[in-house]
Amino acid sequence: MPPGAGIDVLPDEVLHHILGFLEAQESVRTCVLARRWRHLWKWATGVRIVAHDGKSFLGSVHKLCNFFDSLLRHRNPTSPLHTCELTFTSFGPWMSGFSSEDEDRWLCLVNAWFWRAVSCQVQVLILRSGPTLALDERPVASRHLTRLELECVMVNTRFLDFSNCPLLEHLEFRTCFFDADDGSRLRICSPSLVSLILDDIWGMAPMLESMPSLVKAVVATEDSLEYCRKVECNCEFCGNSYSIGDDTGNNGCVLLKGLSEAKDLALISAPEQIIFKKDLRWCPIFSKLKTLLLNEYWCLPDDFRALVCILEHSPVLEKLTLELSSKEDRQQRERKGTLRPMEGSAAILEHLKIIEIRCDAVDEKICKLTLFLCAFNIRLSLN
Amino acid sequence: MASAGSGDEKAAAAAMITLISSDNEKFEVTEATATLSQTIRHMIEDGCTDGGVPLPNVTSKILARVIEYCKKHATAAAGEEGSSSSFSDAAFLEVDRAFLEELEEFDDAFLEVDRATLFDLILAANYLDIKGLLNLTCQKVADSVKGKTPEQIREMYNIVNDLTPEEEAEIRRETQWAFE
Repeated sequence: MPPGAGIDVLPDEVLHHILGFLEAQESVRTCVLARRWRHLWKWATGVRIVAHDGKSFLGSVHKLCNFFDSLLRHRNPTSPLHTCELTFTSFGPWMSGFSSEDEDRWLCLVNAWFWRAVSCQVQVLILRSGPTLALDERPVASRHLTRLELECVMVNTRFLDFSNCPLLEHLEFRTCFFDADDGSRLRICSPSLVSLILDDIWGMAPMLESMPSLVKAVVATEDSLEYCRKVECNCEFCGNSYSIGDDTGNNGCVLLKGLSEAKDLALISAPEQIIFKKDLRWCPIFSKLKTLLLNEYWCLPDDFRALVCILEHSPVLEKLTLELSSKEDRQQRERKGTLRPMEGSAAILEHLKIIEIRCDAVDEKICKLTLFLCAFNIRLSLN
Repeated sequence: MASAGSGDEKAAAAAMITLISSDNEKFEVTEATATLSQTIRHMIEDGCTDGGVPLPNVTSKILARVIEYCKKHATAAAGEEGSSSSFSDAAFLEVDRAFLEELEEFDDAFLEVDRATLFDLILAANYLDIKGLLNLTCQKVADSVKGKTPEQIREMYNIVNDLTPEEEAEIRRETQWAFE
């Protein structure tokens, strides 16, 4: 082998960086390579702990906890972290031996790691859990954090205050449970955000506070607690008599208001969910919105008021994508409404050039939608 | 795409920087390309790039490759290099998916180099402080180590084991929790 081709030409700081891309156990195991390598892992700029099915290592809760604990104790506590990824999805078989004592210890250790990462100036922090995991009730305050991704995590009032994270640009909650002790609605305060993903909201949809720099957002609420099943109920949302209005002063808009600066939005919901329709009472102007993806929630058969309302409030929209599935179970729950003539709608869609409809099959529902959209002189491409 | 005269306008609009390799070869690049390097960005900010930027740690062979990378990534730079102020620019998020795929293909092809060149690129990326390139190349090394035993890693990367058997046994005892 030619001289100089050895990895030892690289300085320690670069080796710390390389070790940061390895999963934690592999990073630690480099300690036996040679004398120089003995302690390098303790300064690795990334910590990645990934435990899931099919892995023999960290395949039991005891091993995982012991590893977690040892890593926490032996890593250099002040060495800055760039990335921390903690993934415990699909726990699989070892869950069966999961005693409450184990659970407590595991919860403590995950929390300890999470907050250690924050204190080590972490920039990218990812926590994906299998079983729902509660994070300590306190706000993240970090001048370094740029990206936070959480999955299957239970969050609370104080945690959602990111006003002390001036560089936080990307925030992601997937299948997270928004839980306030007193049953009130939580608020997400993250003024520096550029992109936001709120996928599969559990509990009550959090109120989104102002995000002036927001560019892109995906919000999907198909299983939240705010729904109406139309059984023994005659509320405005069942009867399709909900009101629609403009954003004026004092408003109770939960999600849409905070998203109003976005250029690129995807809004997904299920027919029985009411939060978006409720929000339409105070529909803001989406003055920068260029591309919008909506699912069938926004265009129930014969009632396109929600769709029209959003379009009317999106003056510079260029591309609209309608994702319509023809699932049997959804069709069972379709609501009937009356096709309402749209007044004053001609002014909308001045900039709209493309409408893309994604669907499995062209059925009656889609024919009606097509006819409706044709009234606006819109040419459609059906995928 | 350039019509007569537009070349001059373009040159006037984009300030050029001269980079000088350790073997004295000169490379003329746009400021946008050069400033993917934080090191060079700081030099420009301090106004000390007149007469060229000498890079005594980088050979012409490696510098040519580094510039090739920077040129390709300069357009997507806003988000890639993690500069928070420019990340807010929507342009990055609206970049064509096709362009991102092309960039990925470029990166894959870029990494098709022998080990010595890879280390030289890492050293250059570290010295010039080009985060995207440093991450790309370090990730490549990390990927090659994944799933390997210590013996295999030593062999792969010319690491001489200077630990006595007793020392190695002791280290393994200390870190038993990571060896199952």
